[in-house]
Amino acid sequence: MRMIVVFEKGLPVRHIGHLDLMRTMQRALRRTDLPIRYSNGFNPHIRLSFAAPLSVGVVGLREVMDVPMSAEVTGAYFQQAMNRVLPSCLRVVSARSVSDTFPTLMALVAGSRIRIQLSICAEAMRVAEVFPAFMEATECVTLRKTKSGENMTNIRPFIAEGSLEVTGTEAIIRCVIQNRQDGSLKPAVLMQALCELAGITSVDYIAYREQIMTRNPQGALIGVEEYPDA
Amino acid sequence: MTEQIERLLMRVEKPARYTGSEMNTDVKPISQAEISFAFCFPDTYEVAMSHLGLKILYSIINNLPYAVCERVCMPWVDMLEGMKAENVPLFSLESRTPLHQFDIIGFTLQYEMSFTNILEMLWLGGVPVKAAERGEQDPIVVAGGPCASNPEPLHAFIDAFMIGDGEDVIVEVVSLLNECKKTGVPRAERLRLLAGIQGVYVPSLYTAAYHEDGTLRQFLPIDPAAPETVQKQYVYDMNTTAFPESIPVPYTQIVHDRIMLEIMRGCTRGCRFCQAGMLYRPVRERSVDTLLAQAENLVGSTGYEEISLSSLSSGDYSCLPALCQRLMERFAEKRVSISLPSLRIDSVLKDSLAQTQRVRKSSLTFAPEAGTQRMRDVINKGVTQEDLLSKLKDAFEGGWSSVKLYFMLGLPTETDADLAGIASLGEAAVKAYYAVPKGQRAKGLRVTCSASVFVPKPFTPFQWCAQDSQEEVIRKQRFVRQQFTAIRGASFNWHDPSVSLMEACFATGDRRLSDVLYRAWQLGCKLDGWSEHFKLDVWLQAFTDCGLSPDFYAHRTRQEDELLPWDFIDIGVTKRFLWREYQRALNAQTTRDCRLGCNGCGIERMKGLCSYADDRSV
Ligand code: SF4
Repeated sequence: MRMIVVFEKGLPVRHIGHLDLMRTMQRALRRTDLPIRYSNGFNPHIRLSFAAPLSVGVVGLREVMDVPMSAEVTGAYFQQAMNRVLPSCLRVVSARSVSDTFPTLMALVAGSRIRIQLSICAEAMRVAEVFPAFMEATECVTLRKTKSGENMTNIRPFIAEGSLEVTGTEAIIRCVIQNRQDGSLKPAVLMQALCELAGITSVDYIAYREQIMTRNPQGALIGVEEYPDA
Repeated sequence: MTEQIERLLMRVEKPARYTGSEMNTDVKPISQAEISFAFCFPDTYEVAMSHLGLKILYSIINNLPYAVCERVCMPWVDMLEGMKAENVPLFSLESRTPLHQFDIIGFTLQYEMSFTNILEMLWLGGVPVKAAERGEQDPIVVAGGPCASNPEPLHAFIDAFMIGDGEDVIVEVVSLLNECKKTGVPRAERLRLLAGIQGVYVPSLYTAAYHEDGTLRQFLPIDPAAPETVQKQYVYDMNTTAFPESIPVPYTQIVHDRIMLEIMRGCTRGCRFCQAGMLYRPVRERSVDTLLAQAENLVGSTGYEEISLSSLSSGDYSCLPALCQRLMERFAEKRVSISLPSLRIDSVLKDSLAQTQRVRKSSLTFAPEAGTQRMRDVINKGVTQEDLLSKLKDAFEGGWSSVKLYFMLGLPTETDADLAGIASLGEAAVKAYYAVPKGQRAKGLRVTCSASVFVPKPFTPFQWCAQDSQEEVIRKQRFVRQQFTAIRGASFNWHDPSVSLMEACFATGDRRLSDVLYRAWQLGCKLDGWSEHFKLDVWLQAFTDCGLSPDFYAHRTRQEDELLPWDFIDIGVTKRFLWREYQRALNAQTTRDCRLGCNGCGIERMKGLCSYADDRSV
């Protein structure tokens, strides 16, 4: 039995790294009386897996993790038990019990929906000005770090959809990012490319990952947590 | 301000140091408390959050229905610079309240080299750095902890010091100041009232005068509210005194990222260099039942996977095997491991070792402190070479291959023969390892010998001693290093002696060092505990600018009749006892462990405090 858990990683904890978040979740699980499955061996621990690591500094609204269980409990029970012990900036949004044959989350991930908020200032307006041109172009080359090193990469193909909204106080960029063979695109790299286009060195913004996506057997984009259990 | 902070966080190293929101820190809103307390730790977040005292006092204050306690740490240089540039005042981790908006600011004094950070934090928090410049609207700045036992170098910056065990005095201080706030008692009167609490020292109510030669001539209260002698506060019963049921659990990895159970306070051994051993007398144990209940609470509220037993000498805890046994039984199912941090080499620990090993194996540390028996007798370290070697043998047979040996260099009466003894012990450790048959010992022998530089500390028998000159320390370090080159399998680490020089000055300094501290801070000193930021030349400049010399403080042997800057504090052990111990040290005479009989240290004056005390020896 496994529990597919959707949680929010809020603004105050957006600077916590992936391993630290993992340890925090393990400790939170230990504080509950939930029937968690421990690994065997010399140093028993809870083998958590996350759908996709979140870049440091990005707020996660619907992050997804997979928790091994030793007995069946309902998603609602799990959610309640966790929210009793988690700080208010880390909340379980929903939980769903799945069978052991459910695919690993990592294998399911196809992309994500992100939102970038910029408070209105001269730099933010420059970014807003160049965004439509960026969406119209087919190519936008910038320096991108991957496991195999730093490369000049055309990042435009990562953006499946993009929109811009400018209100009186902020500019909001929304994108659907699709993963490609060599991985995903970090919001920071997108912003760096937009800054280069805008001819500015940097801009202040807050990035949110709104949802981690997968494709259902019919090929439609859905939240990774909604993937059907066989 | 929030937006500016968020912007800074995107730019600095380890931003999670500044964001709080950890488990068990969702305390009450600051706006709803009658009185607010900023617990200031004058070092970085990682150091602060490893400190048990912070967690104890944080929980005690937050358990008061009328008070709230939030944490404030020293920002790292990148954040400091950003905050200055953006005009962001130092703020609390919980609610990001600027420091100057708190009613009380409390510093914990763990280390002399963090003193400049106190000045920096006050300044960055918008609080007048000098106590004399604070007005009615400014917070009251208090301080406690081991370095408060000689508060004088900080006297110009702190309104009131708390001396002794903090659990009760902190409540008295907060509650008194809360009453004063309600009725609008003026600042000067609040300080006078504070001076009436046992253990509280208000430096502005005292005056010091000096002889021609720079030594203290007179130290007296100038206000009837101030006692001539400040009596420290004691916790009498460790089973009933407050201990947190829940503690903050940091997200990022800190130095001691685990549950620390304080199994006892104090130590019966009487090592003559050890300030903690003298300050925290007498030994007071917690019962196994109390500890089990505390562990149970903390495991439940934190989810930590490790418990460490904390005290000055955990191996001396009277029920250690039973405690380990019961902790392990209780928490096996929760997969919580138990570790003993400060193993004493002369404690009967073989059983416990075998048990800790079942859970987790870490590197073992031993503290022989000196290389020869004569030297160990001088410092009253009741450990023999045979003890040490038999413990090492146990460790190597038990599967350990990495051991650390701690020494001190520059001890009173030390000769080159004593220094050579350090290397001989290192060599003996290597031999002990090879004496275990090859199949039975773990691979990868590592014997690491480290020598710190002796620093004379107030309220120890060595408080009268001079520290070796810098040249002499360097010569000695070279000498020992030379000896180690011939030993394979053992390495030797040493410390920068210039830091120890400043430690000696500020440990044993008088009021005039406040000026030096202020000057050094003005010249840019901060984060001096971090070697990359320590600048000896700037410190020497500050001394010169103030017309003072480090030699006077660090390199001078004091006379029996000299009035010492901390003599007005009754810390428990008497000056008479300390002098007697000093004389015995000079003759290499040892003094027995208190468990074998009372030595009349002065604690016996406090009826019912010391379980080994012999009241007739008064
Ligand atoms: S009163 Fe006696 S037994 Fe107690 S700490 Fe002092 S010397 Fe030791």
